[in-house]
Amino acid sequence: MEFVNSIINWIYYGIVGFTAIIMIYNLIKEKSWEKEVLYILVIIPFLLRLFGLK
Amino acid sequence: MDMFSFTEIVLGIMVLVYIVSKVFRVSTELSMFFSAVAGSLAGGFGLQPRYFAEGAITYLDINLIFITATFFMNILKESGGVAFAVREILSRFHNHRILILVLMTIILLVPGALTGAGSVTVLIAGGMVSVVLNHMGITKLKTAAIIFIVAGLSAAAPPVSLWAMMTAAGVNMPYIGFFLPLLIPCVLGALITMFLLGWKGEKSNIEEAFEELPIPPERMSWILIALPFLVFFGLIAMGRFLPYSSPIVGLPLMFLIAGATSYFVSPTKIKILQVSRDTIKQLLPLIGTLTAVGILVEIMTLTGVRGLLAVTTVTLPVSVVFGILFFVLPLSEAVLMWGAAPVIGVPLVLLFNTIGLNPIIALAGMSMIWPLGDALPPTALIGRLTVDVVGVDESYSAFLRTCILPSIIIMVMGTLMVIFSSQLDFLTAF
Amino acid sequence: MRDKFIVIRKTIFILLGMLVIIFAGKSFYDHRNFNEPVVTNEGVTEVKKLGDYFTGISGTINDCNIYVFEGEEEGSNMLVIGGTHPEEPAGRLAAYLFAENGKMKAGKLFLAITANRSASTGTKLGGAYPPDFSIKTSFGERKFRMGDRWSNPLDQWPDPEVYIHYPSGQNLAYVDTRNLNRTWPGRENGTLTEQTCYAFMELIKKEKIDVFIDLHEAELQYPVISTIVAHENGEELATFVSMMLTDMEGFRMGVEFSPKNLHGLSHREVGDYSDAVSLLFEAPEPFLDATRGTTSREQLLTGKDEFVVMAGKHGLLFEQIDENGWPIAKRVGRHTSAILMTMEIWSEDYPDRPLICEGVPRYEEVIENGVGYYLNDPKSALKNRIVLE
Repeated sequence: MEFVNSIINWIYYGIVGFTAIIMIYNLIKEKSWEKEVLYILVIIPFLLRLFGLK
Repeated sequence: MDMFSFTEIVLGIMVLVYIVSKVFRVSTELSMFFSAVAGSLAGGFGLQPRYFAEGAITYLDINLIFITATFFMNILKESGGVAFAVREILSRFHNHRILILVLMTIILLVPGALTGAGSVTVLIAGGMVSVVLNHMGITKLKTAAIIFIVAGLSAAAPPVSLWAMMTAAGVNMPYIGFFLPLLIPCVLGALITMFLLGWKGEKSNIEEAFEELPIPPERMSWILIALPFLVFFGLIAMGRFLPYSSPIVGLPLMFLIAGATSYFVSPTKIKILQVSRDTIKQLLPLIGTLTAVGILVEIMTLTGVRGLLAVTTVTLPVSVVFGILFFVLPLSEAVLMWGAAPVIGVPLVLLFNTIGLNPIIALAGMSMIWPLGDALPPTALIGRLTVDVVGVDESYSAFLRTCILPSIIIMVMGTLMVIFSSQLDFLTAF
Repeated sequence: MRDKFIVIRKTIFILLGMLVIIFAGKSFYDHRNFNEPVVTNEGVTEVKKLGDYFTGISGTINDCNIYVFEGEEEGSNMLVIGGTHPEEPAGRLAAYLFAENGKMKAGKLFLAITANRSASTGTKLGGAYPPDFSIKTSFGERKFRMGDRWSNPLDQWPDPEVYIHYPSGQNLAYVDTRNLNRTWPGRENGTLTEQTCYAFMELIKKEKIDVFIDLHEAELQYPVISTIVAHENGEELATFVSMMLTDMEGFRMGVEFSPKNLHGLSHREVGDYSDAVSLLFEAPEPFLDATRGTTSREQLLTGKDEFVVMAGKHGLLFEQIDENGWPIAKRVGRHTSAILMTMEIWSEDYPDRPLICEGVPRYEEVIENGVGYYLNDPKSALKNRIVLE
């Protein structure tokens, strides 16, 4: 069970990483300054978790 | 300077920056962020990245639920599942007005109840339900009002009710026992709204309605629609009934597995990357809001503004609190969106708890009223979205006027739940 | 031209975002990896690891130190844990005063300063907690980690849809799956937090612990405050301790009995699943109140808060507060005195197997001299007396 739980834990890091990539992709395509700022704000928590910082 | 004057000044500056941002037509999410920046500076804390980042990550898990649930709903829509369900219901029951209205209410309630976001209901089911309701002879204005209010109630409905979850987390109260207190009034309120606004109307030709609805793939069936839901509820049941012999899956992964099921059984090919990108694009205002709310709440807590609001609220006479609940809650929602829950909800629940009311029922009652604020400026995010999706030709204020009657009924229901929460505590059994 | 402008703008925004991640990330990293030195007193005869009692926890972040104080004479065995909730610093500091000053004359004391290490490596989301706080001493300041109520999600993620307590089956809030005081008696193959409790239960059984004490603090708006919460097996002991503290040491300490249907809490489960008498001590911490004003290190340590005082004037609190607040020395002193008094009453009840501790300051002494007075200087200490928390 601990093994399965640790795999799930890795999947969650995968979800966070994948979401961050999609967000960065959308940020690059974005043209409105407001949405750019917003993307930066929402990406921050995803990267902090992905890098194991918070 | 004493603490009261100091925090009042900080609060004043935060409000001022928020108003100025709105005057310059900055989005609510960024206005909240700028307000937080101003608060941190005014409070003498400078701009410490630690607090901004910690605030931003506060609702990471809720954002993940949002993203994965909406992803699931989008895949279901792309696979033609939603169109199939709406067409089937229309063709089988178009002569039974009551049944159609009830079924449309259910279709509107499901996406928001699962995701916790009314906008998901509007985006996933709003367009198609509006075609059906128009076919039933209901004006676009009334259709928009129905979809907006039911979408709001769907967001408050269980299992995921963000206002209740965020407030409960703020007072260290388990998010347990909310199922019936949220479900019963939300379903009741939704049905009342649907029948109140949708009862009258001359039915049009069914063929016209069919022409407007998207055509689902041929091999789509009820079983294919039900399968991902069965998987989702199967995973919930596994966690609940075999908690010690099953792994901890968590809601985001459950939604993802349900989405994957929907993807694999879909008769049409779904572009998964495109759906992912669209999901994020669609959700940006919402996850942006939650992130900005997190930052705002963190800075309000740091500077003491949150404490000021809390202590002001809890020291008001109880009768005054009961009397102003119906307009303070939607107003706070209009300004702070979900931020209203940790900022206004937490002190109110503490107060209700202290005076011996049942905090679960009271919070459920409040959760019904909050979403009504989503139609009000300055945000009006979901209200405007609904008007767009339905294609209302009249003015926005005409839409607001149409919402008044059902809104009053819901406000009364919510307020009564708060006042009589102790008597209703039997609802918390499940 | 316009495209170029957008690229420049975007680059600036991205750089700003990266700066936030770098600086905030460094602050989070430093907090998580900051090691506090403990200058153990000669009374600490051995420093074990929690993993010595259950290998499942060995090498994890929650493999905390267990300080063993072997008495000169035979007696009973006691386990005291601080840091169940590392956002309640008085419990950890009281444990420090034992580790740096205490000596057992009779009986054996087992002590954990940070029962949930994982929870001590992060601060509460949305809480704006300072990452650390410092206590003034004659040789400078000693710095301590401020922590959270829940284990760090970096160590236990994701949370379940609903947390179902083992073995009672009671439904609890999903975040409480990371709350060390909701996961007793623990589960061998459960989550990190459940395994931590399981390891402590193994310690309690293997070391034949007679008395178990869990140190806490609470917000003033919470009804269970300034009290001993006792399992029914410790009702008499707790009642006498409460009476004696009120009579002899001049502070009010109530007694509450552990509700039978509230599961996962140490005062209930340790009593139910072991032979140990189970007690939980609560001291007041205005820092935890939702009505608190500015969140700062100063508020954390002085407990002074005009807003909380205002809430008190409206009868919304379960403990008194005035402009003098609740200084950390007062809160730590309550804990040290309550532990010492428990040993004394226990020894009166069981004179053939007493618990006698020397060197630890009591309530009045801690208030008079301050907590820092009783902390040792890591720089002038012998290397082999220093342990990292």
